[in-house]
Amino acid sequence: MTPVAAVRAKGLVKRFETTCAVDGVDLTVQEGEVRGLLGPNGAGKTTLLRLLFGLVAPDQGQIELFGHPLGTAEAVNLDGVAGFVEEPTFYPYLSGRVNLELFAELDGGVTAGRVGEVLEMVGLAGRGEDRVNGYSTGMRQRLGIAAALLRSPRLLLLDEPTSGLDPAGARDMARLVRRLAAGGTAVLLSSHLIGDLENVCDSFTVLRRGEVVWDGSAQQLREQAPGSAYRLATSDDARALEIAEQHPGVHASRAPSGELRLAVTDGVDDYVLDLGRADIAVRRLELVVSPLESMFFALTSDVELDPDALGDLIEAALAQT
Amino acid sequence: MSATHALRPGEALPVGPTGSGGGVWHVYRAERRKLSTQLATRLLALVCVLGPFAFAGVLKIQSGSPADALFGVWVHQSGFALSLVVLGFCGSWGFPVLAGVLAGDIFASEDRYGTWKMVLTRSSTRRSLFAGKLLAAFTFSVGLLLLLMVSSLAAGLLLVGAGKLVSLGGTELSNGHALWLVVASWLLNILPMLAFTSIAVLLSVATRNGIMGVIGPALVALVMQLLLLVGTGVWVHMLLAASAFDGWYTLFVTHHYYGPLAVACIVSLIWIIGCVGGAWLILRRRDFAGTPVSRRPGWVVPTRVAFGSAIVVAFLAIASNWGPAGDTAARLKASIMPAFENLTLLQQRELGRYVPRGSKLNVITSCSRRAATPSGPGDWICTLDVFIPQLGAEPFQQTPVNYDVSLEWNGCYKAESPPSFVGQQTMQAAGGHQVVNPLFVIYGCFNPL
Repeated sequence: MTPVAAVRAKGLVKRFETTCAVDGVDLTVQEGEVRGLLGPNGAGKTTLLRLLFGLVAPDQGQIELFGHPLGTAEAVNLDGVAGFVEEPTFYPYLSGRVNLELFAELDGGVTAGRVGEVLEMVGLAGRGEDRVNGYSTGMRQRLGIAAALLRSPRLLLLDEPTSGLDPAGARDMARLVRRLAAGGTAVLLSSHLIGDLENVCDSFTVLRRGEVVWDGSAQQLREQAPGSAYRLATSDDARALEIAEQHPGVHASRAPSGELRLAVTDGVDDYVLDLGRADIAVRRLELVVSPLESMFFALTSDVELDPDALGDLIEAALAQT
Repeated sequence: MSATHALRPGEALPVGPTGSGGGVWHVYRAERRKLSTQLATRLLALVCVLGPFAFAGVLKIQSGSPADALFGVWVHQSGFALSLVVLGFCGSWGFPVLAGVLAGDIFASEDRYGTWKMVLTRSSTRRSLFAGKLLAAFTFSVGLLLLLMVSSLAAGLLLVGAGKLVSLGGTELSNGHALWLVVASWLLNILPMLAFTSIAVLLSVATRNGIMGVIGPALVALVMQLLLLVGTGVWVHMLLAASAFDGWYTLFVTHHYYGPLAVACIVSLIWIIGCVGGAWLILRRRDFAGTPVSRRPGWVVPTRVAFGSAIVVAFLAIASNWGPAGDTAARLKASIMPAFENLTLLQQRELGRYVPRGSKLNVITSCSRRAATPSGPGDWICTLDVFIPQLGAEPFQQTPVNYDVSLEWNGCYKAESPPSFVGQQTMQAAGGHQVVNPLFVIYGCFNPL
């Protein structure tokens, strides 16, 4: 028997005045799956999440959550669905704890200690009594995650969840998502930065101008990636450039700043070994565009996915990063 | 505290409820809690408690009285009158302002704080959210009204005393009867109060602007009060929500009629259903998609709304002449004559003169309007020629008494006569203390329908 998907959307279309924000999108998220929703700004990610939350009604298409059709806007029942779109917002004149208690009330109430538990989980136990208008962006983000966790969701929809979080917070966020998924929760994370989601997601859906341009597993995305990019600093950059010409999978160039850049489709290890054999010391080799990132930029930019254009692609990616 | 400490790898995730769905009652509880914590709500409650006491205190230290309001001249003598004067003022301005401050921001605040997307992504449906918020606005509105009722009665009875209340027919009411009528009058204002709360809710939902929601009901009340001053017809007047606050007057007339009271209740219900229905339709169909360019603040939409409102108001002003004129000379005459008779006898009793049971005055009354048209609200003059046949009573025989009458569209009036005819506002009673001269101002109402 086929398991019921947490999210099954078919042919979703949403227009705002003359703009088609979401154009024929199909999306499936299984229970226990963490799916990344990727795309540049304006790709339609947030609108797609709003559609899934019932905040906007689709012009065409159907949405099913756990096998139940998401009907008209007023009939939305989001039991077991949690998360937020854009940045989470709160009543600024109330404390974080009272905000959570109010949201919990809208869910039908929670046990007495639950609010304290989720505050503890997101690291806000010591600030729960403070008014939200004194919270930093990262603290609001954590409170938003706490609000989503109040009812142990079966489906978690998070828009740019690491926005405003410090690196430690982003790491914690990733751990939390993996733990929820391990417990069977379906998670849909949206971001315009693939780096935020690279190590968290099992699968990805890439949007561009409202349309799905790629959909598949993380493994498939890596396999289809056009390459990666590095910053390179050596004891003899001129010779390093010459040696790169002997490696067809490595395209080296000098950036306007003087540093070396490598666009690599294959054989970076052999190239580095050759540098060593040539008595060239590698002082720095930094991955600046991962394979997934290059794939993401290829899918979401106007550059053709062509090995000859990889240099241009990586230049564009570097400019964006 | 860092989340790193809070989220240890491998730590079991505490299990919470999966969400049983928040119904209307849960939304109501959440809204009630929010409203209770808001400064505006607390200030309103404070004003409702202290306002009547402050009003009574001011009256106590000065001799003037708000004679323009129904029962106004009696505020120094009867605590019930004080409560009714507060009620009359609230009906004109207080209730619309209370409704606006309380309910005008209840939906718009979600737009201001950007929290719609948070509350709509909980388990409560949009229908439950709307109903819960509406219920909270209604219960708080009614709560404030009841608070005002209790406070005004307490202020009146404690600071003025339980002096006899004189009805709009000129008869004295027992304290028990007066208390019952005062409480009933306040309760009859619940429906119009809810009508203005519904207007506030509609404005809050439609404009998504708390300022419009808060001041909107007061502006609507102002426009309605102005419309009630123009025109002679009853049809448009009685359809205005502000006129529904006048329904309670009919409880205090001697010859009871309930038409205006029934109309006030029906009109209130129409406004409630219309505004609540409109607000729900807007909210139900709304896309919560951030702020598109077309919704950003600008001058085009406010200008259109102002222009459209001006056209509606102008139309209503013209239409206010449609329908029969409720204020006619015959009705005014039929009302003021028995009131004058009753108040004259009351005056005689206050002065210690013997008034046999069943005494009656013979009064010949004529009333005319001080305007080109013979009927309608405005300034009137009534002349009462009095003949008292009973022995021992003050010989007013065939004395003409002129009253300047200020008549409103709803049939209620205030009639004043120069002191040379009826004496000063206060007079010395038989016991030597100062009392209100019953004939100084006559309040009355008749059925305009």
